[in-house]
Amino acid sequence: MNTATAMPKLRLTNVLKQFVAPRTGQLTTAVTDVNLDIETGEFVCVVGPSGCGKSTVMNLVAGLDTPTSGTIEADGKPVTAPGADRGVMFQDYALMPWMSVYDNIGFGLNYGTPGKGFTKEQRDERVRHFVDLVGLKGSEKKYPHQLSGGMRQRVALARLLANGPDILLMDEPLGALDAQTRLILQVELLRIWGETALQKERKTAIFITHDIEEAVFLADRVVVMSTHPGRVKAVIPVDLPRPRTEHTRALPRFGQLGEQIWNLIRDEAYRAIDDTGDKPVAAASVKQ
Amino acid sequence: MTTATASVNGTAWSRVLQLTLVPLVLVVVWQLWGMFLASDERTPVPSRVITTFFDLVANGGLIGALLQSLTRVVVGFAISLVAGTTLGLLMGSYPALRDSLDPIIEAFRPLAPMAILPIVLLWFGTGTPAATAIVTYAAFFPLLVNTVHGVSRVDRKLVQAASTMGVPRPSVLMRVVLPAALPSILLGARLSMGIAWTAIIAAELGVGAKSGGGTSGGIGQMMFVFYSYSIDLNAIVVCMIVVGVVALLIDRLFRIAERRLMPWRQ
Repeated sequence: MNTATAMPKLRLTNVLKQFVAPRTGQLTTAVTDVNLDIETGEFVCVVGPSGCGKSTVMNLVAGLDTPTSGTIEADGKPVTAPGADRGVMFQDYALMPWMSVYDNIGFGLNYGTPGKGFTKEQRDERVRHFVDLVGLKGSEKKYPHQLSGGMRQRVALARLLANGPDILLMDEPLGALDAQTRLILQVELLRIWGETALQKERKTAIFITHDIEEAVFLADRVVVMSTHPGRVKAVIPVDLPRPRTEHTRALPRFGQLGEQIWNLIRDEAYRAIDDTGDKPVAAASVKQ
Repeated sequence: MTTATASVNGTAWSRVLQLTLVPLVLVVVWQLWGMFLASDERTPVPSRVITTFFDLVANGGLIGALLQSLTRVVVGFAISLVAGTTLGLLMGSYPALRDSLDPIIEAFRPLAPMAILPIVLLWFGTGTPAATAIVTYAAFFPLLVNTVHGVSRVDRKLVQAASTMGVPRPSVLMRVVLPAALPSILLGARLSMGIAWTAIIAAELGVGAKSGGGTSGGIGQMMFVFYSYSIDLNAIVVCMIVVGVVALLIDRLFRIAERRLMPWRQ
C-alpha cells in the first residue's frame, strides 16, 4: 500500500465469510477475496445479482457479523462489533413502533454520540435540525404506523444522521418505495448527504442497491459484485459532475456507465432467473 | 352493525339490547321456573337471590370478603408480574439460561395450583400468606411463558438498529426488547390475572375446608361456609355471580389497559 496517501476511511483486506449450516455442518461461502479501500467522504454504491453477498459485506462492515478470515478496519482500527461510528439504515427501516418520530430520531443520542456529550437542549436542537433537514417538520409526534413509506424512510435517514456516524451504511433504503418516489428521494438523499455537516466534511457512504441506474446516479464509485461465490468483480468510477440532478440522467455518459455495469452483471442475472443456465429466447433486456 | 345515518342514541340502545337481551331472558325463565315448577321454598330464584345479595352486602360482610380476595389476588399477581417478566426477559435473551431452566419450568407448569395446596398449607398455614402463595404460583407461568415467547418474536432488526446506534446491552434490553415484547407480556398479564382470580377462589374454598370454616376470609371461604354450614343456596348463587362478574370486569379492565399502553397497535 502507498503509505504517502492518507489512510482510507474503510479498508477491507482479504475478507472471507463462510456460513456453517447448523445441522449438516456444510460450509457456504457468502463472500470471498474482498479487498476494498474507501476514502473519506466517498459515496460508494454496491450492486450485483441476488446472492452476491452485498448485504453480507454491509453486515460485516457494520460489525453485526464477523469475517471468517481477513480484516476490516475503520480509521485504521479493526471492526469487531457494532458501534455508533458506523450507522446503518436497514431495508425495512427498523423504526421502533412505540416511539414517535421525534423519539426515534433522538433515541441514540441518549447514549452519547461518539465523542460528544450533549445537554438536553443540545439534543433537542439536534433532533429538530434533522427533522427539518429531511422535511418532516410538523410530524414529530406521529408514530411510524401513521406515516407513509416515504416518510418512514426519511425518519430512518434522520435517525441515521442524527447519531453522527462517520460511515453511513445503507442497505437498499429506497427499495420499498415506488419508482417515482425513489427518483425524488435519490435527489433528496444526495442533497442531505452533502448538507449533513454540522461539521465540514461529507460523510462516507456505502449504499447497496439492485438498481443500476440508481447506483450510477448516486455514486462516486460503483462496486460491482458477482456471485457463486460472492466477490468483487469490478470497481467502476463514476465521472459524472456533481451536484447530480434530473438532467444528469439524460447525459450520454450516464447511459454508457449503466450499460457497462449491466454488461458485467447480465449473464449472472439471467442465470439467476433461469435455473437450467440457458438464456431466455427473447433478447429484451431485463432490468433487475 | 348500524349505518352511519343512525342516531347516536339508536346505536347505543341497540348495543345495550345486544348485551343484555339473552341474560334477561334467561333470568326471566329461571324466575318463572322457580315460581311454578320448583318444589322447595329454599330453591334459589332471582327474586330471592337479589334479596339475599342486598342482605349479604348490608349484614353479611360480602364487600369485605370480596376486597380481601381481591387484595390477595393483586398482591400475588404483582409478585408474579415482577418475577415472571424479569425472568422471561432474561430467559428470552440468553439461550443458555433458557435451556438450563426450561426443564424445571416445564415440569412444574402443568401442576395445577390446587395440587400444591397441601404443601402450601403446611408451609404457610391457613391465612392470607397461603392464599397469596397459591395465586403467585398460578399467575407465574402464563406470564413467564408469554414473556419468553414475546421476546423470541422481537424483530432482530430493532435490536441490531439499537446496537448500531451505540446503545449499551442493558439499555437495549429495557428500552427495545421490553417494549417490543409488550404485546405478548400484556396478553400474559391478562391471562394470568384471570387464572389468579380462579385460583384464589379455589384456594380459599380449599383453605376454608381445611380450617373448618375458620379464619381464612375471602369470598371463596364465604362460599364454603354457605355450602357446609348454613346451606344457604341463595347465598351461594350470589357469591357465584359476584365471582363471575368480577372475572369479567378484570378481563375488560386489562383489555382497556392493553389498548392504552400500546397505541401503535391497530
